[in-house]
Amino acid sequence: MAASELHSSAPAIEVEHLTKVYPPSIRAVDDVSFSVDQGEVFGMLGPNGAGKTTTIKMITTLSPPTSGLVKVFGVDARTHPEAVRSTLGYVPQSVSVDSDLSAYENLLVFSKLFFVGSKDRSERIRSSLAYMGLADRADDLVKTYSGGMMRRLEIAQTLVNRPRILFLDEPSIGLDPASRLSVHESIKRLKHDYDTTIFITTHDMGEADDLCDRIAIMDAGRVAALGSPDDLKKSVGGDVVTIKLARGEELPAIPKQMALVSNRNGSTVELLAENGDEAAPQIISFLDSKGIATESVSISRPGLDDVFLKYTKKHLEDSEDAARANQSRRSFMRHAN
Amino acid sequence: MRVWRSISSSLTVAEMEARRVRHDPTELFTRLIQPALWLLIFGEVFTSIRAIDTAPYTYLQFITPGILAQSVLFVSIFYGITVVWERDMGLLTKLLSTPAPRFSVVAGKSLAAGVRGLLQAVMIFVLALVLGIKLRLDPLDIAGVFFLIVINAMCFSSLSMLLAGFLKTRDRMLGIGQAMTMPLFFGSNAIYPISLMPTWLQSLAAINPLSYVVQGLRAFLLSGDYSTIPLDLAVVGVFTVVMLTGASLMIRRLVE
Repeated sequence: MAASELHSSAPAIEVEHLTKVYPPSIRAVDDVSFSVDQGEVFGMLGPNGAGKTTTIKMITTLSPPTSGLVKVFGVDARTHPEAVRSTLGYVPQSVSVDSDLSAYENLLVFSKLFFVGSKDRSERIRSSLAYMGLADRADDLVKTYSGGMMRRLEIAQTLVNRPRILFLDEPSIGLDPASRLSVHESIKRLKHDYDTTIFITTHDMGEADDLCDRIAIMDAGRVAALGSPDDLKKSVGGDVVTIKLARGEELPAIPKQMALVSNRNGSTVELLAENGDEAAPQIISFLDSKGIATESVSISRPGLDDVFLKYTKKHLEDSEDAARANQSRRSFMRHAN
Repeated sequence: MRVWRSISSSLTVAEMEARRVRHDPTELFTRLIQPALWLLIFGEVFTSIRAIDTAPYTYLQFITPGILAQSVLFVSIFYGITVVWERDMGLLTKLLSTPAPRFSVVAGKSLAAGVRGLLQAVMIFVLALVLGIKLRLDPLDIAGVFFLIVINAMCFSSLSMLLAGFLKTRDRMLGIGQAMTMPLFFGSNAIYPISLMPTWLQSLAAINPLSYVVQGLRAFLLSGDYSTIPLDLAVVGVFTVVMLTGASLMIRRLVE
């Protein structure tokens, strides 16, 4: 089946009751259903081990689902895996370029594997590299690239196929802030210029907030909540009151009708309240009555962090160690040669 | 269409390997050290003490095809580690996410081992000529040798990739690779005739594909008697096809 035969009106991705069980009985993905519209940037947000990568692998036909249905542009991934793969580009979490080859060669190999005609190849490779700002380094060996350049090269590599849908697994993991920004800009440009559907997984709230039209919050293999970042934040309701204590002392139980403690980090305490402006002075006088001095107070709208907390009763930061491990792998990879 | 796509993607995966070697050919030279030692020390010593009867050929002539086959075996048997390494990196995941048929990714990797094996064989060949070892140098014989070398590499690299699908980690693959090379090498006719072996080892050698590779290489390089070639090609060919099929069914387990 050629790409042109794919249904032009179908959603980019339809997933129904998708489940993946690893032996003996680990439910990595547990009865997940969602759909992604064409041209949408869809994010899966969750800590490591929430089932995000497994979901991507099932959609990209790399891993067969235990049960459930996956359709990409209306094509069943189980019965037509090669037709599905011909429409997509996938940037895995770990480094997926061959560092022993030049950037041009990496793209050349993949343009052949995507069956790009020999007449179009050279032009597509040059334009993909130029699009990702790598034209001047095309003939350098990839092992001389920085982590951010490698990430952009990985995206360039998928562009030779002119993918209708792009899967980015933790696109900015292990990148410094400047590289991260440039990767984010590329993603936005792809959506803007080519109306490419983009599927992102991330454990980074800021990234999900910045890039995604809609977000599915994943926890323990299930979709805990799904919606646009704004809708999700609104669903938390109320305000976040952040109080900095003068001393890092024990906090007395704050009356539930006043506010809910959502996070505590040293002397900084975050609370969720129906109305922050009213709750803040109440909390301060309550703490004062218990002999606890406050240094500063601020009131803000809830962020995705609070959304995550509301739906999963967990903090995303718990996965930070795993993220660091990944980051060191990327730099190890870069210096291994 | 599908057949053409499979062949074209296999060649592309092999091309990747050829390009790697071109950028950094160091490994070709370091890997030459071991076969050189076999020929220069083991071969020369056993030739001069005439411990093993290999008439009508000198012992050095006798083991040259064996050392050729062995060095290619050593390159290929660790190919599963390369695949596991590429899995750890994400490269294998990316290869498998292209529309290229899965079989062609495995076949391409085994062809890639063939590329390395071939370059290895050329260097050993040159070394043998420098040492003055008398070999048949008819172009057709040389073509036959190179063909067998590529099949040899495909055979053992696909066995290695099949095992990688089960074992999944570099450490385990390193262990199994080391555990397998010596039995395959010593349990073959590479450095002594099968008739000199104890009976139990003879039966092992008879089911060892490496024995058939060496037998075929000897026919091309020494005797010019092609009567065993159909059997040699059939055994190594069937073994390779079975391993390739198994490996392409198993390789997905690496990225799941």
